[in-house]
Amino acid sequence: MLSFAARRTWTGQVVMYVLLAVFAAFFALPIIWLVFEAIGVHLAPIAHNLGLWLFNSTLYSAAGAAIALATGIPAGYAIATHEFPGRRVLLILTMLVMLIPTSALVLPLFLEANEVHQLTSPFALIVPYGLYPFGVYLSYLYFHTERFHVLLQTARTDGCNEWQVFRHIALPLAKPVAALIVFLNIVASWTNFFLPWVMYWSTDTTNRYPLPLGIALQLFGGETSGEYLGVVQLHTTSPPSAIAFLLLATLAPVVVVLVLARRWIGSGQFQSVFR
Amino acid sequence: MKARSPARPRKSGCLFVLPYVVLLGAIGIYPAGYVVYMALTSLSAHFTGLSNFIDATHNAEFVPAFENIIKFLGIWLTTLVVFVVGLSLMLHSLHGRVGAAFRFVLYLPAALAGSASVMLWLFMLQPGKSPWGFVLSWLGYHSLGDSLAPAHLPVIFALIAFWSGAGSWIVVMHGALATIPDEVLESARLDGAGAWRTAVHIKLPLIKKWIAYMVIGAFAAGSQLFAEPQLISEATGGLANQAWSPNQLAIFLAFHYDYFNYAAAISVDLLVVAVICAAVILLRTGLFDVGH
Repeated sequence: MLSFAARRTWTGQVVMYVLLAVFAAFFALPIIWLVFEAIGVHLAPIAHNLGLWLFNSTLYSAAGAAIALATGIPAGYAIATHEFPGRRVLLILTMLVMLIPTSALVLPLFLEANEVHQLTSPFALIVPYGLYPFGVYLSYLYFHTERFHVLLQTARTDGCNEWQVFRHIALPLAKPVAALIVFLNIVASWTNFFLPWVMYWSTDTTNRYPLPLGIALQLFGGETSGEYLGVVQLHTTSPPSAIAFLLLATLAPVVVVLVLARRWIGSGQFQSVFR
Repeated sequence: MKARSPARPRKSGCLFVLPYVVLLGAIGIYPAGYVVYMALTSLSAHFTGLSNFIDATHNAEFVPAFENIIKFLGIWLTTLVVFVVGLSLMLHSLHGRVGAAFRFVLYLPAALAGSASVMLWLFMLQPGKSPWGFVLSWLGYHSLGDSLAPAHLPVIFALIAFWSGAGSWIVVMHGALATIPDEVLESARLDGAGAWRTAVHIKLPLIKKWIAYMVIGAFAAGSQLFAEPQLISEATGGLANQAWSPNQLAIFLAFHYDYFNYAAAISVDLLVVAVICAAVILLRTGLFDVGH
């Protein structure tokens, strides 16, 4: 016979695994459903658009991530290792903007893009995707260590100028934080619906749509049937199997980037906190 | 491990931050300032004080939109706190590999955030198509219209947001739990604390700050709700109101009526909420290193 305490632990374990199984099913079942639904899909009707939207999404996200890296890594590095006027104000402002949801700035950005006549331009998406204060903060945390400061001082004593220190010491060491910034930035821009919607939707430029707008278009084109509430049924422009394929095509690149980024981020303290 | 080196050059520091500062100004500060300016002026650019803010509240959709969003936030934040914290604590007690596999499965839907998750959940809520058809028929729902009855919308939006958003927060909580030193957990075990007591009395108090961060951050993000109600409105031919959430109302006023100044006023309302939340996280939780 099990003791009372052992029996209680055992029951606790069973309850926990049942709960975990229920939640795993809740999160995984829709994705498994997608895979089965997409089997045997006829791609011909959507292949052209799918390719186009996939290309657009890749372009916007990659260009945005490139800007986020090119501006974020040097900025975080300088805030961590240099003294300049307004340094602390810049750090606090960066954290404030990073904690404000990006959707809070969508309508303001729309008004700005409208004012400078960039509404349907790819820049209306790429440039906002490139502003990534969280990347600056991550880069700041990464370089703001005692060990790194000692390394910098050594390089300076050896006669490196500031550019050489950054180019030959800091940049090669920045690989893990760069991978993390690229991953987080790409997932954010890849799944962004609100910003492309306000920039492109009303203008009907479907050949510039990123994937999230292409998905939304599948709902818009089809008339949902049903005169009154009780009989409304879902109708989509493309058959469900094509939509399932479209959703899997949205999911797959993120998984690839996740796997690649995990390899680059590597292991260690930094990873355990931010993964 | 914070450091302060004696010689830290000024000029090069400015050059390194310059591209970022320009971008922050053009994409962060300028649009925020511009929307405030628009909210305080009329179409003919005359200063009108707070009248846009007051007039916007007189719109018939204004109060309902805020009521809707508060209902949604109440449900969403409750589910987040209960389930994200519960799941994170359970996963933390599993062995490394098993826990990591679970976190991966729970994180995966984040890749389908936004319109993809709404599209997927429309299928999940369509009787006859959904793998959960038995649940829907048990609830007595025979069409998408039954599933999406207006009274259900706050729950549905919370469900979709939870499905695609909970995984990211679980990853954050995992990071927080990973900072608890092994010695602390070991001494709890030696004192005879079981898994349950360790979770509730040791781990939970140590991640309190992160839970506060999640609640405030999720409140700020949730108050901006747009994609879910917008797409469900389009999918059901207007069954869900086109101005269900405040952000939708702002966009609706701007796109359909060219009431840019009213839209700007609502946008400023939401921006103020977001800034207050961000400031509270920054100043009160102590999670972020604000320099020294």
